[in-house]
Amino acid sequence: MMLQQTTPDTFNYFVVGYTVFFLVMTVYLVSLVVRYRNLKKELELLEELENEG
Amino acid sequence: MNELTSPTAERASATGSAGAFWRAMWAVVWKDLSAEWRSRELLTGMLVFAVLVILIFNFALELDAKARASVTSGVLWVTFAFAGTLGLNRSMASEKDRGCLDGLLLAPVDRSAIYFGKAIGNLIFMLVVEMVVLPLYSVLYNTNLFHPGLLLVVLMGSIGYVAVGTLLSTMAVQARTRDILLPILLFPLVVPVMIAAVKASGGFLQGVPWEELKVWINLLLVYDVIFVAIAFMFFDYVVEE
Amino acid sequence: METKPRWLTVLDVLTAIFFVVAVFLVFVFAPMERTMGLVQKVFYFHVATAWVGMLGFMVAAVAGILYLIKGDRQYDTLGLAAVEISLVFFFVAIIMGSVWARPIWNTWWTWDPRLTTATIVELIYAAYIMLRQGIEDPDRRARFGAVYAILGFLSVPLTFISIRLLRTIHPVVIGSGDPSAEGAFNMSPRMKVAFFYSLFTFSVVFVDLLLHRLRMGKLAARVEELRLKVSA
Repeated sequence: MMLQQTTPDTFNYFVVGYTVFFLVMTVYLVSLVVRYRNLKKELELLEELENEG
Repeated sequence: MNELTSPTAERASATGSAGAFWRAMWAVVWKDLSAEWRSRELLTGMLVFAVLVILIFNFALELDAKARASVTSGVLWVTFAFAGTLGLNRSMASEKDRGCLDGLLLAPVDRSAIYFGKAIGNLIFMLVVEMVVLPLYSVLYNTNLFHPGLLLVVLMGSIGYVAVGTLLSTMAVQARTRDILLPILLFPLVVPVMIAAVKASGGFLQGVPWEELKVWINLLLVYDVIFVAIAFMFFDYVVEE
Repeated sequence: METKPRWLTVLDVLTAIFFVVAVFLVFVFAPMERTMGLVQKVFYFHVATAWVGMLGFMVAAVAGILYLIKGDRQYDTLGLAAVEISLVFFFVAIIMGSVWARPIWNTWWTWDPRLTTATIVELIYAAYIMLRQGIEDPDRRARFGAVYAILGFLSVPLTFISIRLLRTIHPVVIGSGDPSAEGAFNMSPRMKVAFFYSLFTFSVVFVDLLLHRLRMGKLAARVEELRLKVSA
């Protein structure tokens, strides 16, 4: 094989790789926030119920 | 790790000597075997299932002479693994449903004796299925699978599979989703057993020299030792009420 | 637990700063690798996410052992938190590796030991979550989770060895193994800075996420407790 030192253009794969990274991380962070909020709401509701009963 | 084994050790000293342990263990094995002798539902199920799997493989893979040489060990181990899951699930589920498990746990015996009793029972069932499948496969495809090396691999592979499987099936039957849970829990953990067993069996059948197969046998040995010990240590925690 | 402690907010800000710097180092500071082109930069976060995945798996196993010894439910919350974060990070690591492999190995997927082991670890995490979802009793769920996390952790080295014995093409960049592995390269000093800094940053990210997930886990435990009390 000849030693050809032309750098291949792999910019697209670079973009795809990091898009996946940021996308999944964002989704996970959002899911953390949403789940935390829902739990908080549920806790308040349950505390109300408990105080009534 | 001392803390982890202490509950077992305490109970052992409370109930007596090693003799009590052996008696309890064989009592559990004997109970399973005699129950199976009466109903025969577990072994029949496993065997019919195993034959069906081989039948499906036959059509799916077009098992002609050339293909067989390379895929036989794979077909065999997939069959054993599937039939094994069926047996493990059934053996523990009937224990749980009839309330036997609770009864056993109330008995003043070392719980690891119950674990080894169940594991040996499961191992016997699995070996019986394998000892039927091997000649059957030999007859169907006109080959001889009775190579001493292969039998060794079958034994060692089954020990590792059953050691982990018995522990996990005890957990699985206590879950809501028990029917689908066991294979999902078990298969990722027995990957090393499957790889080593398939490679070693295939090697023996194709006459690969022992030197090259030794590494797989060693791997099976290491897996068996580690997971029998681990299951022994942790069984207490999966049956605690 | 009611209000977020101040030190956690400080850690959040620090983590964010570290992270931005890591992105800068990887995107701008680190030079472009000549034989692979820009896609080589995927490597920095690929290794870092995989590192977090393994870290979480380890934390879950240790938390499992501690739970079985001490019986404190906090360790169970910790185990679940670690597994969940690792599940996400390992998933990203596998996808990023796959994206990198496409131009370099000319395939999205190979049955290489690390890739395959990572996938099996991912399946063990998934099984762990499924096991927990099938059990209502919190104590039993915690015990089973602990046992399964420990078993899984012990099986992984054997899985890796057994697949490795089958053959590998994965490049070993650190502690070089097989130099003929396609896609292997030597890191220049600047690359090393970006690489080790990414590892450091992701460790901090892991700790920060873990603390948040722990807070959530404690809240969930309280909700579950109250729910049982109210429905009783």
